[in-house]
Amino acid sequence: MTTASSTTKAGATAVRTAGRVLIMAEMHGRDLMRRHIALALLVALPASFYLTSGGSSRDAVSTGGVSMAFAVGGATLFSALSAIDVDQRLVMVGYRPLELLLGRLLFLGPLGVVIAGLFTAMMVGISHPHDGSMVFLGVTMVALQAVPFGLAVAAAVPRELEGTLVLIGVVGIQLAVRANAVVAKTLPFYGPRRLIEAGVTGHGEVWGPLVQTALYGLALLVVARMFIGPRLAVRRVTRG
Amino acid sequence: MSAWTTVRGLSALAFAGEPDDGGFMLVVDSDQLVVSGVCKSYGRTRVLDHVDLSVTAGEIVALTGENGAGKSTLIRICAGLLRADSGDVKVAGGVGYCPQSPSLFELLTADEHLILFGRGVGLSRAAALERGRGLLEEFSFPVGRNIVTADMSGGTRQKLNLALALLCDPGLLLLDEPYQGFDRGTYVNFWDHCDRWRDQGKAIVVVTHMLAELERVDRVVELTAHDARPAHLR
Repeated sequence: MTTASSTTKAGATAVRTAGRVLIMAEMHGRDLMRRHIALALLVALPASFYLTSGGSSRDAVSTGGVSMAFAVGGATLFSALSAIDVDQRLVMVGYRPLELLLGRLLFLGPLGVVIAGLFTAMMVGISHPHDGSMVFLGVTMVALQAVPFGLAVAAAVPRELEGTLVLIGVVGIQLAVRANAVVAKTLPFYGPRRLIEAGVTGHGEVWGPLVQTALYGLALLVVARMFIGPRLAVRRVTRG
Repeated sequence: MSAWTTVRGLSALAFAGEPDDGGFMLVVDSDQLVVSGVCKSYGRTRVLDHVDLSVTAGEIVALTGENGAGKSTLIRICAGLLRADSGDVKVAGGVGYCPQSPSLFELLTADEHLILFGRGVGLSRAAALERGRGLLEEFSFPVGRNIVTADMSGGTRQKLNLALALLCDPGLLLLDEPYQGFDRGTYVNFWDHCDRWRDQGKAIVVVTHMLAELERVDRVVELTAHDARPAHLR
């Protein structure tokens, strides 16, 4: 009886949580889709990196692919930091900080995949990498990793200027150092970069970089949740 | 007629009754909000120093004071949005908070805000829209116009801000200068609504500088700048 009741309660909580995550994703999507210039820049920024790095060369594919992190990470960072006051009000009316994070992730992740698809199609058409599908996988991983990365930076560095500088610094270093340099291996886009380069050259691991990317992304989400929780917390003692 | 209480310094006290009741805080069962010994500093500047306040159901309390006296800080602490350095805040039931400047998503419409906030308090889309639009209509909000908040006037945004605070039908309303940007008619209408909410048994704390309207509240609590604060901040 007690077990049945607690199962029902857990089920109801899960449904409520799913509903809040979905509504957050929907509203975040509506807000972002009305920012037409920002959307255009989301595509134009990595394309510019790719084309100005010598569009037809194979290194340009790697540079262009990783530079997706600037666009998607920047969009995530801005969306999280600009809404911090509203987010706190949402927590006050019943949302949990994790639901707000997951809502953003749920919209920005698929959006990143779509942009990665369009962008990869362009690079494949110009640079003719050895394995286009592997390049797509790598660029998609960049886009997906950029969302928890942007959320973690926004949570840990609560001001836009500082957050933007951290983002530029991390992605910039990832682009500047050799792919197998020690420092490159500690950065969040190392795994995706290996996938892109495997697609360009036709040889390289798949599962190792994938698992590494997934674990790094999970760690970034944990960092985001850890820092955002206290900032959005509503402290209230209810009288009986 | 309003009772006046001045809250300042170490002897900061607000009274549940008349100000000459004596130096203690009376706590009764109908209290919706009880603030005890709350202190808050920003750096070396002490903004709130052992502030006590209680607000009962069916009571309107006006919170006044000069700039920097800590009115918004106190309201934010009561709402749970800011941590006090020391002291306790206890509330009974739901809290509706209307911040001084509207915290809204710039590119969402009023209906979308109602759906988003409504889900937080457990309302379906239809229920949130029905209840929210009803609240907005009471403040002559142009319901049905599909415009985003960035394109709304300051007063219109504030009406939405106020409606979101009321969406969960709270027992305690914390309103930080909620009428900013309202035209004269809406402003008067706001105070009429305060009377109605009081009749419904809500406890209401309004931060206000409008002395003309203080006759309409049950009690006025004045926060004064703390003596230890640098003169330019008083």
